[in-house]
Amino acid sequence: MAAQGKMQALNQAIRQSLPGMVEVAHQNPEARVLVRAVRFADHAAWHLAEATPVQQLQWRDLEAGGTTAMGEALELLADALRSPPMEERALPPVVVLISDGQPTDDFEAGLAKLMHQPWAQKAVRLAIALGHDANLEVLQQFIGSTAGGEDNSPRRPLQASNATTLAQYIQWASTAVVSAASMPASRITPTSQTQNSSDRAANGSNILLPDLPPTLMDPTDENVGPLVW
Amino acid sequence: MNWLLPEATDLSFEGIEQPLRILSGLGGGTQGQVYAVQVGAEQLALKWYLPACIQRDPQLRHRLRQSIVLGAPNADFLWPLALLEPSASTKPLIRHRQAGFGYLMQLRPPAYVGAYLHAAGALEISLQNVLRACFFLADGFHQLHLKGLCYKDISLGNLFLDPNSGRILICDNDNVDIDGQGQGAVLGTPGFIAPEVLLGQVRPGTTSDLFSLAVLIFRLLTRHDPFRGQMELEIRCLDEPARRRLYGEDPVFIFNPSDSRNRPDPIEHAAALITWPIYPQPLKLLFEQSFVIGLRDRHQRALTGQWKLALARSLDRRQLCSHCGQENFPELQSSTNTCWSCRTNLPKPLRLQLPFGLVVAANGNEFYPHHFDRLASEDLRQPLGRLVAHPQNDGILGVQNLSQQCWQVRRRNGQLISLDPGMTCNLTALQQIDSCSGTITVLR
Repeated sequence: MAAQGKMQALNQAIRQSLPGMVEVAHQNPEARVLVRAVRFADHAAWHLAEATPVQQLQWRDLEAGGTTAMGEALELLADALRSPPMEERALPPVVVLISDGQPTDDFEAGLAKLMHQPWAQKAVRLAIALGHDANLEVLQQFIGSTAGGEDNSPRRPLQASNATTLAQYIQWASTAVVSAASMPASRITPTSQTQNSSDRAANGSNILLPDLPPTLMDPTDENVGPLVW
Repeated sequence: MNWLLPEATDLSFEGIEQPLRILSGLGGGTQGQVYAVQVGAEQLALKWYLPACIQRDPQLRHRLRQSIVLGAPNADFLWPLALLEPSASTKPLIRHRQAGFGYLMQLRPPAYVGAYLHAAGALEISLQNVLRACFFLADGFHQLHLKGLCYKDISLGNLFLDPNSGRILICDNDNVDIDGQGQGAVLGTPGFIAPEVLLGQVRPGTTSDLFSLAVLIFRLLTRHDPFRGQMELEIRCLDEPARRRLYGEDPVFIFNPSDSRNRPDPIEHAAALITWPIYPQPLKLLFEQSFVIGLRDRHQRALTGQWKLALARSLDRRQLCSHCGQENFPELQSSTNTCWSCRTNLPKPLRLQLPFGLVVAANGNEFYPHHFDRLASEDLRQPLGRLVAHPQNDGILGVQNLSQQCWQVRRRNGQLISLDPGMTCNLTALQQIDSCSGTITVLR
């Protein structure tokens, strides 16, 4: 089953990215890296309800099936971003929305509720489109403004058309972005396209997002097309 | 990790006769990937840049060439040794359409670990070795600046140290440029960037290096950030705009004597409050100079030579608490010193009077050529002598001859002893040492 294959690829990608996340947390002892996860199909539910230190995280597989209650998922997320349970002072949260389809519930209402939370506005919001059926417009709405976002930008939904790129994007979001949100990296002079704006506007984000991973040439990627679905 | 270069493969590069064998990938960051490579009989490290990094920084190749020609300021820099441009036969083996380039450097020995581990309190390291690491860091920048170069991006992320010796390695030397020249892309790392650079008023150079250096020394000594105090607690989310305020628009040194707005919080910033009182006044004054007057006036910041002198003198006055064994750096003039850790009274210690300096007789303290020669620059690399405890009885302290020549030791009863290189002489009843560098007198 195609849908089943995608979910397995996603589970694999998340599992593979965990050691890298642990390493990032280790390198930045000032920050505590906690992970939670919401799954959504016919309904949304907490998949990893407890905010779990990444060192203790054991990923339970997600299963495919059902419709796409994305709005409900955003509402659950909104509750979690309230303070409390969020601490009053924290580093920017990183929220990654991964979806392979069209929302089947009231996405707009969910997003509105989410964006009502100050921590949601402060959060680094990223989206990964799984396969070719994902609704990119909806994912873009979740990310927010596209200021400065060219085609190949983290301020656009990342399109994972095969298992290799999916794993790369998950790894990137869970390591490079988490690291940038917690431990500032070297700054470079704004390039000519973004010269007249501050970092914030140039990046469209309140942290400086790291470069996307380079697209590596791999014979299997180049010639065979999608690996899993 | 997705490696750009194929592992376990021989690759040839322009201008390099023998091929390089890519042994394995060691790590990757936002700029590039580092590999262990075999070149003939030697193993070296190879940094290969990501295409996005090359695109963003058009001067990179030029700077690397320049650094390779100029050579490393001293051995504490993991300096670029050779620029590597892929040959026609190598290009197709690189897993990206833009083959890019890289450079060779020495491998980092495993004893050296990231300085961020110390800042996090995750390293077991003596205060003596922390001060030594700071000294070597200041000395590295001294040599770099003397060559007319600037580093631009020093932070905890590119400093490595050996906790057992205090020796350091300065990595990521690819932003190094001739001061005041070039259009390098890097601005620095938030938390270490000088305010005028963060605000976009001035390009990074030696004066901003001096600011970053002071921050890094502060973080190594106190394990805390010099600008994170009460004002940080008012920030809910430490994001880009908040960092800009904290480090650029309105930075206030947490120990600014005339502005108490940003004092450390007793709970959130406990490390700063515990560690700051440990250090001698001359060191604290250099921080004030760099973070109060030097915050706005970049030409007032403490210079590398001032840091070297203050750090070397701090090491000279190191004294061990007889009760808890903790390292202390008390005022030698004051008669009422107490241990910062256990509050026990510190008795006035035995001291060695050298022609140009006074060294407290404490296990592990050393004296150097600069103690004998007014013109010699402070250097900790080649001690001439060291205070050592007796291997079987650590209550007995001796002076070990680390020089190449025999010393003449005079005891208080007039007895004369010849002390060969490598040998140690009991300090008890010792009056004077005549070495060919000069005379050492014991002050009681």
